[in-house]
Amino acid sequence: MTLNRRTLLAAASAIALAATSFAAAAQELPRNVRLVIGSSSTGGDTYQNSAIVAEALAEKLGIRIKVDAVGVGEAYKALDRDSRGTTLMMFHDQAYLGNLYGVTGYADPFENYIIGPSVAINPGNAYLVPKNSPYQSMEDILTAAENGEKVRVAIQPGGVSEIGFTAMKNAARVRAPGSEENIVALNTGSQSDKNQAMWDGLADVINGSIQANEQFTQLPEDDQKAMRFVWITAGGAVLEQAPPEGMGDTTRDQLLKYASPETSVTLDGEKDFTFDKEFFFLFNKDMDPAIIDQIDAALTEVFEEGAIQERQKASFFIPNFRASDESRAHFEEKRDTYRRVIDELKSGS
Amino acid sequence: MEILDIITPLFLALAVGGTFVGIVFGAIPGMTATMAIAVCLPLTYSLGLENGLALLLGLYVGGISGGLVPAILLGIPGTPSSITTTFDGYPMSQKGEGEKALRIGIIASLVGGLISLGILYFFAPVLADFAIRFSYVEKFLIILFALTVMAALSSDLLMGIFSGFLGIFISLIGVYDITDGGNGELRLIPPGLEYWLDGGFSLLPVLIGVFGLAAILEQAEVGVPKGQSMADVKIGRDSSFSFSIFRGQVGNLVRSSGIGTFVGILPGVGGSAASILSYSAAKTFSKTPERFGKGEPAGIVASESANNGLTGGALVPLLSLGIPGDAATAILIGAFTLQGIQVGPLFIGNNPQTWEAMVIAMIVANLAMFTMMYFAIRMFARVVTVPKHILFPIILMMCVIGAYTINYGIMFDVWTLLIFGLFGWLGVKLRLEIAPFVIGFILGPSAEIYFVKSLEAFGDATIFFTKSWIAVVLWVLILGSLTASVYLAKRGKGGEATP
Amino acid sequence: MGELTRITIDFQTSHLIFPTLVGGVLALLGLAILLTRWRGIVGAGGHWAGIWSQMDKPRLLGTVVLTVIYFSLMVPVGDVWPNRGFGFLICSIPYVFLTGLLFLHDRGWRDILPVAVMALIAPSLVWWTFTELFFLTLP
Repeated sequence: MTLNRRTLLAAASAIALAATSFAAAAQELPRNVRLVIGSSSTGGDTYQNSAIVAEALAEKLGIRIKVDAVGVGEAYKALDRDSRGTTLMMFHDQAYLGNLYGVTGYADPFENYIIGPSVAINPGNAYLVPKNSPYQSMEDILTAAENGEKVRVAIQPGGVSEIGFTAMKNAARVRAPGSEENIVALNTGSQSDKNQAMWDGLADVINGSIQANEQFTQLPEDDQKAMRFVWITAGGAVLEQAPPEGMGDTTRDQLLKYASPETSVTLDGEKDFTFDKEFFFLFNKDMDPAIIDQIDAALTEVFEEGAIQERQKASFFIPNFRASDESRAHFEEKRDTYRRVIDELKSGS
Repeated sequence: MEILDIITPLFLALAVGGTFVGIVFGAIPGMTATMAIAVCLPLTYSLGLENGLALLLGLYVGGISGGLVPAILLGIPGTPSSITTTFDGYPMSQKGEGEKALRIGIIASLVGGLISLGILYFFAPVLADFAIRFSYVEKFLIILFALTVMAALSSDLLMGIFSGFLGIFISLIGVYDITDGGNGELRLIPPGLEYWLDGGFSLLPVLIGVFGLAAILEQAEVGVPKGQSMADVKIGRDSSFSFSIFRGQVGNLVRSSGIGTFVGILPGVGGSAASILSYSAAKTFSKTPERFGKGEPAGIVASESANNGLTGGALVPLLSLGIPGDAATAILIGAFTLQGIQVGPLFIGNNPQTWEAMVIAMIVANLAMFTMMYFAIRMFARVVTVPKHILFPIILMMCVIGAYTINYGIMFDVWTLLIFGLFGWLGVKLRLEIAPFVIGFILGPSAEIYFVKSLEAFGDATIFFTKSWIAVVLWVLILGSLTASVYLAKRGKGGEATP
Repeated sequence: MGELTRITIDFQTSHLIFPTLVGGVLALLGLAILLTRWRGIVGAGGHWAGIWSQMDKPRLLGTVVLTVIYFSLMVPVGDVWPNRGFGFLICSIPYVFLTGLLFLHDRGWRDILPVAVMALIAPSLVWWTFTELFFLTLP
């Protein structure tokens, strides 16, 4: 094993000396790579995005990459065990949000792992109300909270689904301190549970997504299942890169009405709060930096060629490649912003 | 595009081929329909939507059906949804009626599949609207009804119920899963084992542990007696199968297919609950309930028509709410999104051709399943004529593969297999009852979520009785099932006293 | 009904509710078993001695030991050639062979040969099907 590793390291450093963009760079990453993901679903967006990226990367480097949906806890364990580059991980903002919300099993990814390149955004995170709801907009919801009305929001606690709820509370606090108490969470699980919470009359607002809920917004108002978007957390600048036909019967321009700047959920009274769910690589802390350089270089080429963007867009992902260094800085900044919001809400209440 | 343009020879070949691969996956203990679909999902990108779906639906139907083969012949459920098939199928095999049991199972599967397809085709949107009236409360009561079968399956009522609750208890070990609505906290983990047990024990390794490994350990304990097989399967005339077995089973068939379909329609109740519920119902309504669990054909009929009924049912919420009805259909969503097709309440209206193609693929898959399995019965039955010293090591190895791959490569799942193999072997000596234990283990997590969430969301304990008329009906069923079990247990005791 | 049946659940501790409830029922059932069956439990020594004396110890314990070794070696062996599934392949061949041998009653060459052949063919076929054809991860 040591021999293997030594050969690997020798090969890696030798090639790092030479130009990195060469095809010979394929020597660095092992020939059989396992890409574990932080979700245990093979039907979800993490898997889909990982499959697209893994396929392109494998083809570029002439290696095999297998995507395994083992879920976050097991993915971290697999990553911990292996620093040879044979195990890589793909996840999204949940990695650090879970840590910020203090969920068991979520170690600080910045401390325990290396944040690698980012590859895509899923701009779909959204909040919806029943179609016959008195709330026409986020403005109405925040005003209701200010007037002492309880607004119940169905979320899955501890991460991506909660961050928008945290932002709503924060905005309520900025507008009228104390009114954030009137925005209360209904803790549920899957999308099915959240929808059901709305139909059961347990929630006034639910977290959902453009992809999963758009068709419900097209139903006639007298259908008990009908819904309406009130907020899409992705920034307008991001959503603008989506295909103009949007999703289903809702065009991109219609979607933009629910996103910042047209729908404003304030961060601090001046700027709007936005949240883009971004997918990125995570590496073992002791993995050879040459392998990271190799992945960065290969992905740069893949994204320059442009074919991967078409596939991502066809699946409603926004291509969003950042090489490792840039990506790390970006996520640290993003994490710090959300940490402030979460901490201020905690200390305020 | 006309529907005939979609139904090409390739489309049909994919549906049939998918069914074949599905049967193989289902027939291997530890390999499931879900896994078959996950493995083949990437292929569908290049096949196009309709052809890709033909393949995946074939895998789905085949995978669910194939599970009955090891369930009947070896007493190991090939997939979790064939668990109740082992209760009567394996005793029949032991009595030398393996071939007959296989025939019954395959016919019941076909009927279940076709009935549920009919329901899917004609009533999907209506049923989806009905299904969303099931809130946490009603779902809890459904699970509770399914749990009452623990009592029905116990040969010693007290020990059986204890075993069932032990199964629930062990299923709760680990995290209270956030993705199901929990708070992500750990509980019931012995100190120092957090690293291993944070995710709890997975269902499939537990199942093949207590049914597969434990059976082999029991054989090893008695020295692996010589002889050809685990059971002498009579092939040929002696097995005396005739369609007259199904006389008097029409009600059972229709009811079980209906239950299977309906459980499939309810998101989050889970596939294995379908066959457990219909088995429970079949026993409750049977004139000879005491024969269940000892090789009663009606038990196989109930179990297999329900788990194939599930296939049509689980597509209802998928295609009319965009929500999967079970684990396998959750992966099917991936096939749609890969092609940029939304699933939701407008799917059927917006994509009539795809919808019809799916129904046709399901019909083809069901017929292909029936034809292939019916004519392969002799071949299946030969499995048990393989000498034990060759068959057992291979079963052990396949169990390892199944356990390792079920969650895409987790070694602890393989250790789980061993732990529960030993537990199953020792448990029998402690007079624990394995069937109720497994039922408790399967249903425990859903029982917890729906029970706690009912109280959390509605904040009142009376909600279980007052929520809706559906709740009241479910209570009637629960009480009926319990009364029947207690009555039977009493009668059984009386019978034993006077031989 | 009103106040009596009202229940407020604290989400932070909601993971303990159901385990406590089930644990309580389990304890009660356990107690009931002790009370009604204590005679049998006290006299179970003979039952266990009987099991121990009738047990085919080499075959049973041998199976367990071989399985433990098999499971323990799979991952370290597989790690030498990462993500190829060789750990499974290399460990399964001797495991299938040795358990087969253990279960065998007459160990002449004619009996061992089929065991050896199956021990070579079955794991190889399975390994090829799952790693190469279905692209699944094996240890």
